[in-house]
Amino acid sequence: MTEQQKEVKPRKRMTATKAAASIGPLVKEFITETLKARAEGKQKLAYTFIVCHHEEILRAMDVIPIWTENFAGVCGAKRDAERFLQRAESLGLSRSLCTYALCGIGFDQWREELGEMPPDSPWGGMARPDFMISSGQILCDPRSKWYQASQQFMPDVPIYNIDLPYPLFQRDQDHREVWGYYHKYIVKQLRGLVAFVEEQTKKKMDYDRLRELVDLSDRTWNLIDETYRLRKAVPCPMGTGDAMNTMVPICFMMATQKAYDFFVELKKELEEKIARGEGEVENEKYRLMWGGGLPAWYALNDFNYFNSKGASFPVETTYRMVAPLYEMDIPETRDPIEHLAWRWLGYWTFWYDKARKRPGSEPDVERLINWIEEYKIDGIVMHEAFSCRTWHVGLIWQLHQLGKIYKPIPLYVVGKDGKKEVVMKELPSLILESDIIDITSYSEVDTRNKIDAFIETLESYRVNRAY
Amino acid sequence: MKIDEVYSMIENQFNQYGSRARQLRDEGRKVIGYVCSFVPLEMITASGAIPFRVRGNIQEPITLGDTLLETIVCPYYRSCFDLSIKGRYEFLSGLVIPHACDSMVRSYSVWSYSLPYSYFHFVNVPTVCEESSFEFFEEELKNFKRSLERLMGEPIEEEDLLKAIQLYNQNREKIRTLYELRKSDPPLLSGTELMMALTVGSGLPVDESNVWFDRVIKAVKGRNASPLIKGPRILIDGACIDHIELVKLVEELGGNVVADTICNGTRDSFPKTEESGDPIRALSRRYLDKLNCPKTYRANKAGTFEGDIASRFGDIGAYAKEFRVDGAILYVYKYCDPFGFEVPARKAYYEFIHVPMLHLEDTYSAGNLGQLRTRIQAFLEMIGG
Amino acid sequence: MKEERRIYLGIDIGSYSSKGVCLNHHDSLASFDCLSRGDFKATAEKIKEELLLRSERRESEISWTVATGFGAQLVPYAKEIKTDILCLAKGVASIFPFVRTVVDIGDLYTKIVRIDGRGGIHNFLLSGKCAGGSGRILLVMAKVLQIQVEEIGELSLRSKKRVDFHTGCAVFSESEAISRIAEGEKKEDLLAGLHRALAAQIYSLMERVGIEKEIALVGGGARDVGLVQAFQEVSGYEVVVPPQPHMVAALGAALLARENDSRGQGSK
Repeated sequence: MTEQQKEVKPRKRMTATKAAASIGPLVKEFITETLKARAEGKQKLAYTFIVCHHEEILRAMDVIPIWTENFAGVCGAKRDAERFLQRAESLGLSRSLCTYALCGIGFDQWREELGEMPPDSPWGGMARPDFMISSGQILCDPRSKWYQASQQFMPDVPIYNIDLPYPLFQRDQDHREVWGYYHKYIVKQLRGLVAFVEEQTKKKMDYDRLRELVDLSDRTWNLIDETYRLRKAVPCPMGTGDAMNTMVPICFMMATQKAYDFFVELKKELEEKIARGEGEVENEKYRLMWGGGLPAWYALNDFNYFNSKGASFPVETTYRMVAPLYEMDIPETRDPIEHLAWRWLGYWTFWYDKARKRPGSEPDVERLINWIEEYKIDGIVMHEAFSCRTWHVGLIWQLHQLGKIYKPIPLYVVGKDGKKEVVMKELPSLILESDIIDITSYSEVDTRNKIDAFIETLESYRVNRAY
Repeated sequence: MKIDEVYSMIENQFNQYGSRARQLRDEGRKVIGYVCSFVPLEMITASGAIPFRVRGNIQEPITLGDTLLETIVCPYYRSCFDLSIKGRYEFLSGLVIPHACDSMVRSYSVWSYSLPYSYFHFVNVPTVCEESSFEFFEEELKNFKRSLERLMGEPIEEEDLLKAIQLYNQNREKIRTLYELRKSDPPLLSGTELMMALTVGSGLPVDESNVWFDRVIKAVKGRNASPLIKGPRILIDGACIDHIELVKLVEELGGNVVADTICNGTRDSFPKTEESGDPIRALSRRYLDKLNCPKTYRANKAGTFEGDIASRFGDIGAYAKEFRVDGAILYVYKYCDPFGFEVPARKAYYEFIHVPMLHLEDTYSAGNLGQLRTRIQAFLEMIGG
Repeated sequence: MKEERRIYLGIDIGSYSSKGVCLNHHDSLASFDCLSRGDFKATAEKIKEELLLRSERRESEISWTVATGFGAQLVPYAKEIKTDILCLAKGVASIFPFVRTVVDIGDLYTKIVRIDGRGGIHNFLLSGKCAGGSGRILLVMAKVLQIQVEEIGELSLRSKKRVDFHTGCAVFSESEAISRIAEGEKKEDLLAGLHRALAAQIYSLMERVGIEKEIALVGGGARDVGLVQAFQEVSGYEVVVPPQPHMVAALGAALLARENDSRGQGSK
């Protein structure tokens, strides 16, 4: 199998905040720390996925997480994923599947075959884990099948697959009618995880420590929400480009003091920028929402391109994996595991009540409408990554439904009789297409052309706005 | 393949798929559409409604469906959606979708808002298979029961459920009998005929389906010769293959399709529901545990890869032996996560049981059959000998 | 230089063909198009030469040039680059001010643009990466059937029994067509079927951005009368097609060049 020549390194992306700029070294640090820990052999290492509300459990037991999705993202950002993707394909896996998983499985097979890290592994590579903790929840099949596929090459490494369902939005049923038995199941699954980790580490869970960590992550959740809400300011002090960096403490460092402190600093930085009237973009003409889709990790520079046209991104749905606890009406409980399960359900059903109140609405659409108003959004950008059904199926429909039920922009148009009239229009939107880490799917010329045309659309709206 | 009155009888009914359902709707009955083996049909039948398996059409290019649903969704599922949007299933009163795969779950809103049915229900089948999962699933089934009761305006009594379970078990026994007739070499009915017969059954109320299978069994048993010329005995492995083109192609090229582990084949039909004890518990065990689908995560209890695959795919090995299979065709749709990720493990398993396997990745389009032809031909020649 | 002597160029460099339009302060003086043949820079020079020749003007009289299209970056004498979307909107609005939905059927992309009556854009959509729904398939088919591209339209209208294609993919359609010919299907029937499949894909794209009457079909593909007819049948809408549909973006670019001058950016 031939090795792919590495692509030319992309230009370094400019960030709007110092906080976002500090992330790169942070990510490298926790990858190198896992390699160090593997070498020292004192702590257990677990492959795992983000946003499973289980970091508190892992950290309470001193287990070091190896974030396999992050590693794939790093390969993508460094434009060095192709050789791992090809390896996965040679095993029989289709390129149409999640490219994070293909990258990870390809890497694992190679490492196991060599008995050491593949040559020039990005930032030293992924350490061999002691166990693997997966969870497909109800939205991601690859996260249920990935480690099982890797286990073919590491049969001595056990897996615990956490089942974490949530009730889907059904218009004819209030989720509270069912969430009692959902909660019961999730609690049992999490307790099963505790038992599994206890067995693997030969240690017992310290519930006081767990309670503290859960409390810390609760406070971090609220802080993150407060911090991000500052981006409502005009001009917007921080955009989605930066948020693709600041997602790191949210997703990979939850339940650590470092993550909490990071957001304290970021909040301060944003407040200072707002006081100075300093925006992400010097001459902010258009405020855009990243309405859905994982970013193309090798093309984050595109956000700077948007910026250069006067467009800022005050808000995004991607990686906004927290919601304010004080706005969830979940039952109180002293038990940390029961609380985690309620927090899980509270997060996933956050928009259900509001969606039910607006005719034709649906939770994802409701979130778009609410944020359009809160963050004063002029247009929506979505990214369709071809290998990910989890986050990209439904985006076309969401824009369609949004356009159907929400037309807030008064525009002057030329009527049939040649006279000027005012028509209420939906927000303009743009769909970009490529992938999360498979760079062969991306065309910079194409993407920039689409962005240019979208900016012209936004300008057209701006110029013809009635009031 | 020899075309006789048996074949014609089956084909005739196959071409009328949906007409009986339409008739029943005209008589005032409620017909509920479903996709996938995970939907508890006994529950729908017990409520007084009639379950109807929604199909796609590989001859029809997807057009309207693409205006609302991304093309990275399972192509079979997209076809079903396209046909639904085009109004082909206007006789349905509603749809039931299970948690089987991302394509289904992530497009649930698209379906439920875009189609004109008043009844839509999502059955949240658990991902793992532990004791707590059965407890959860039983509550979900009760929730499904309540939703059907609201639709039909009548309670579902325990005896309704038991009766339905019995009828479906009978249905499965009859299908088993049909499969037995494939054991002769060459088989007494072709894979094409079997697929058509099963399809007919999935479009009828279960009691009529039972009558239908009795008819087919009698007709086939009345044959004194196989409709096929003896050839390599093939097992088809895959998800939902709701058309006959693949099987027809294999048999045209000289193979004898004698076994399968596909959704609308043995996955739908072989596992039976316990008839004693609590019916809801019995259903939860049947659908979550007995039904073997990649979507259900089964932990590796053996600690070795060989042990793991033997346990996960043991049923394939059993069928391969029982039906004396010479080769297998693993047919996976592009964009299918549950099966897609299992290809390397399945490959290893077929090697382990010494059954040659052909892996095909397809897009559910008649235009693609030409591509498959060459590969299947080469495979049959290779194992023919 | 006196205002009446100033001329403005609009250049559209496409992957298959390139077009140019030359305007003065109130008329169109000349237009020209040729195949791109992969050398965009040389093609751009050739177009400029031809436009000057046909309009009997000198290079020094060019006040402003706007370039657009796939190879716009390679037009060395362009003062400005504008997206093809904007140029289309502008061009169509100048010919048919009552049109609100523009369908541009190009070689590699089909573009749907929702416009107001003055060249402003409300929404747009490009066909996907794989060229499904775009004109490339017609070029491929002409090669397979061994006919001229220009003959496709008229020939297809002679079909009595359309052959149904099952795929929109240009690559697979080629092999499907070859097997159909081997089975004895007529060229016109294949073309009619192809037009039908293409029209359905285009209509599908349009539904995604919403359709508002009136509808204009432009671009190279709109010169194919068979495709225009198939589209009307499939969509149920009547469409308008400008006299030189493939020149519309170049016209729009030239109009934008002229507008720039009236804003005082032109040469002395």
